[in-house]
Amino acid sequence: MSASLAPTTAPTAAAGRWVCPFCPLLCDSVGIRLGGAGAALELQGTECHRAAPALARFSRTPPAVAPSIDGQACGLDAAIAAAARMLAASHQPLFGGLGTDVAGARALYPLACATGAICDPAAGEALMQTVRALQDRGGFTSTFAELRNRADLIVFFGAPGPNGADFIRRAGLGEGLVPARHLACLGHEPAPALAGLPNTGSETIAWQGDAFASAAMLAALVAGKKVREASPELAALAARLQAAAYSVIVWDAAGLPAQGGLIIEMLQRAVATLNQRTRSAGFPLGGSVSAATVNQVFSWLSGLPLRSRAGALGLEHEPYCFDAKRLLADGSVDALLWISSFGPDFPVPSATLPRIVLGHPEMAPPAGGKDIVFIPVSTPGVGSAGHLFRTDGVVLMSLLPIPGYIETLPTAAEVLGRITLALKAQMAGGSP
Amino acid sequence: MSTVRIRGGRVYDPINGIDGEVRDIVMREGRIVALDPRQAVDEEIDAGGCIVMAGGIDMHTHIGGGKVNLARLLLPEDHRGAGNNPIALPENPLELASCGTCAPGTLAIGYRYVEMGYTAAFEPAMLRGNARHAHMEMGDVPVLDHGAYVMLGNDELFLQMLAEGQDFQRIRDYAGWTINAAKAMGVKVVNPGGISAFKFNQRKLDVDEDHVHWHVTPRQVVQTLARAVKELGVPHPLHIHGSNLGVAGNIESTLETIAALEGLPAHLTHIQFHAYGTEGPKKFSSAALQLAEAVNANPNVSIDVGQIMFGQTVTASGDTMRQHAQSGLANPRKWIGADIECEAGCGVVPFRYREASFVNALQWAIGLEIFLLVNDPWRVVLTTDHPNGGPFTSYPHLIRLLMDRSFREEQLARLHPDVAAQAALKSIQRELTLYEIAIMTRAGPAKLLGLSDRGHLGEGAAADIAVYRAHDNPETMFSKPEYVFKDGVLVSRAGRVTATPVGGTHFVEPEYDKSIETLLRKHFATHGSMAFEHMAMDHDELCSCCNGGRLLPVACFENAHG
Repeated sequence: MSASLAPTTAPTAAAGRWVCPFCPLLCDSVGIRLGGAGAALELQGTECHRAAPALARFSRTPPAVAPSIDGQACGLDAAIAAAARMLAASHQPLFGGLGTDVAGARALYPLACATGAICDPAAGEALMQTVRALQDRGGFTSTFAELRNRADLIVFFGAPGPNGADFIRRAGLGEGLVPARHLACLGHEPAPALAGLPNTGSETIAWQGDAFASAAMLAALVAGKKVREASPELAALAARLQAAAYSVIVWDAAGLPAQGGLIIEMLQRAVATLNQRTRSAGFPLGGSVSAATVNQVFSWLSGLPLRSRAGALGLEHEPYCFDAKRLLADGSVDALLWISSFGPDFPVPSATLPRIVLGHPEMAPPAGGKDIVFIPVSTPGVGSAGHLFRTDGVVLMSLLPIPGYIETLPTAAEVLGRITLALKAQMAGGSP
Repeated sequence: MSTVRIRGGRVYDPINGIDGEVRDIVMREGRIVALDPRQAVDEEIDAGGCIVMAGGIDMHTHIGGGKVNLARLLLPEDHRGAGNNPIALPENPLELASCGTCAPGTLAIGYRYVEMGYTAAFEPAMLRGNARHAHMEMGDVPVLDHGAYVMLGNDELFLQMLAEGQDFQRIRDYAGWTINAAKAMGVKVVNPGGISAFKFNQRKLDVDEDHVHWHVTPRQVVQTLARAVKELGVPHPLHIHGSNLGVAGNIESTLETIAALEGLPAHLTHIQFHAYGTEGPKKFSSAALQLAEAVNANPNVSIDVGQIMFGQTVTASGDTMRQHAQSGLANPRKWIGADIECEAGCGVVPFRYREASFVNALQWAIGLEIFLLVNDPWRVVLTTDHPNGGPFTSYPHLIRLLMDRSFREEQLARLHPDVAAQAALKSIQRELTLYEIAIMTRAGPAKLLGLSDRGHLGEGAAADIAVYRAHDNPETMFSKPEYVFKDGVLVSRAGRVTATPVGGTHFVEPEYDKSIETLLRKHFATHGSMAFEHMAMDHDELCSCCNGGRLLPVACFENAHG
């Protein structure tokens, strides 16, 4: 293979066909404007405080950032060989960040197997709260189209997070598909976007104690138990849930407190109770779109979710022990592969161990670093095609490069595939 | 151009009428060729003492897509049970680590199927909204060719069109668009109308009962879809998971569903779960005889069995209504359900089938009775509805149960005493032959799917071949074939994977009137959750989802509605 990978020749998005890759809602009706060379990309005809700053990190012609070793620019081949050497020398590597898409995850798994790496994404704790709740109790969920067509009661359990306003639009609140909807906001004021929506009533209900206590009380109340501490508002909400035709309880996976999986379990208990007589479902909103995607891919390939490794002893899943933050803090890992393709949002942890960074060009380390290999990679949905799972976990959205965007960078999948080949060649005794 | 001869095996090739003749099979460039026995070849494989069949084809096995991955997420204990953590890494350097028994990873699915001599598997329940995901997972099942049936009949648009009495042609066009958009191999209907009805809080739906909102009946849904699939020229007829799955007395629904077809072709899947009567003190009895009589009398109908196997498994189904009803039986006590995109749903309920349970023992007997009571093996496919009745790795055991009466009786004697004493199975003497097994595991499924170059060993067929060492015990024989070839490549030798090529994707592309897209565009803008332009997959995207495997479009019948 040549020293630099050819610019991507994948089909580009036709006008109006852009899918935004920057949050788990994966909105697909977003317009985009390319300015002149060097001008930042902009949203067109819509506002989004997540997409706009993310796009501003790209221009039609990306900056010419080269791969580097210890801050010294080098060719892609040299960077790949150095990365492979680093991983070959490691006794216990950690693969973190994991800001990539399905293709990146598919390419990452064989490398994880070859190196015995532990894999934990940025925001891994939020993901694991959801995974553990599922492993322990299961749950019942719904998707956007169901909300839009059916939900007559939506309970926001805690503030809906940074996606709140878009969620309201995507869930069809204010449309006429459901004659009258009611929104109950626990522990926060309704979002400004809700003000004045037709056919939509809303209320705020204060926490009873904290979120854990409120979730437990709500689950008990919908089960018909008497809860003396419960406020009349919470009791009224339970009655609303029992009377609703199709209620949906929404939580922001990233906004839950420590041990928030227990809150998900209690909310799901309420849903299960309601489903004995009427219809109800949970809806996880938010979290990291790439973490959820990589988790799906690793689960289907290996059978086990993230926070797993194919180590010398065998294939292990350790949802508590394999926590990247803890492993780095304890010095339990001796090399780090960090992936952040969608922007510099996942900053590389400031550890002293050898690091390989596959990231947005802005993540290029300064000159004079030590033991750091940097390879700028393409962003799926901006410079290359790709696939990500939407927040409801069912719909896998297809990303296409932005029409007119000039890509010069390889995808994370291509780079990971080449690192795996180089590593195997080195381990077989070939030259790097 | 290397030519390989498999010499002197006993060949069972029912499509070509070959029943155990000793003959040579020659492959070249991935295909089977006719070659004079005296002509030299590059390699000769001695198959003396071996049985030669086409590669196995599993036409109903849940191998990929949303609910399968939910099953994996739900059951870490399937992967790291007591004393099994960490899980030993594969010794074979060609295999990547992948684990699980009833909910294995896609890599393990491929390895284990290939080691048993299977070369193709079909995912029966793909949602259009989850089609990319399903194709991704299937693309990550190594070696096996694959395909999937897209679900219709619970999507609100179909039910609305039916309720409004729209032209049948419009509904047919919508089905045509859906098959193309999802790159499907066929259409499956699950609990016709019932998944949608559950979203409207209906808990039961008989064949002639009204959907509480749309006021259409499962009979109408089945009739309309069966006709649409036929008229679109899709080779595999409508794949039906009937009403009232698992309910005592559901034989009535099953017979009504067959009647609803009015002679239209259809495949009734995991029929064991739909063949229950209400006789006896426990009000739960075998209706295998009634079912078999109906199948024997209706040549338009084919079935697969969905045999249950004792032990731990997980049931994964689109039938939210029935899975919710059964969720109290979950073992371990947890389950996952979802309402999905106004299209369908899913329910994942772990389950342990126990020999000491009257109901489970009877289910086991019913499945075997069905295998043995239906006369025409071309219309019976061997499945456990993996993983719903049990994992696919139990097929060799199942084959032994079907081929060996004394073994079957020994097993029956271990079960719940009422079943052991009274099951009709006791008096059934039939033992299936190797020829019949070859029909039920490869020739029959190939025919039912319209795969003209698979499932047989005639000239021009794909060189998907399994060579088994003959053995008195069929379980031993079918567990680890000596050789397995996929498109002429040796992919397994004596139960050890030897190559992991990416499998191909089978799909159909029926023609339809594109003007239906105006209606679809409008409907999804008002009711959907993504732009119409983003819904359909094209060939390039299918190829990338399927991991670069070959695209294997299957021809539709021409003039199907002429």
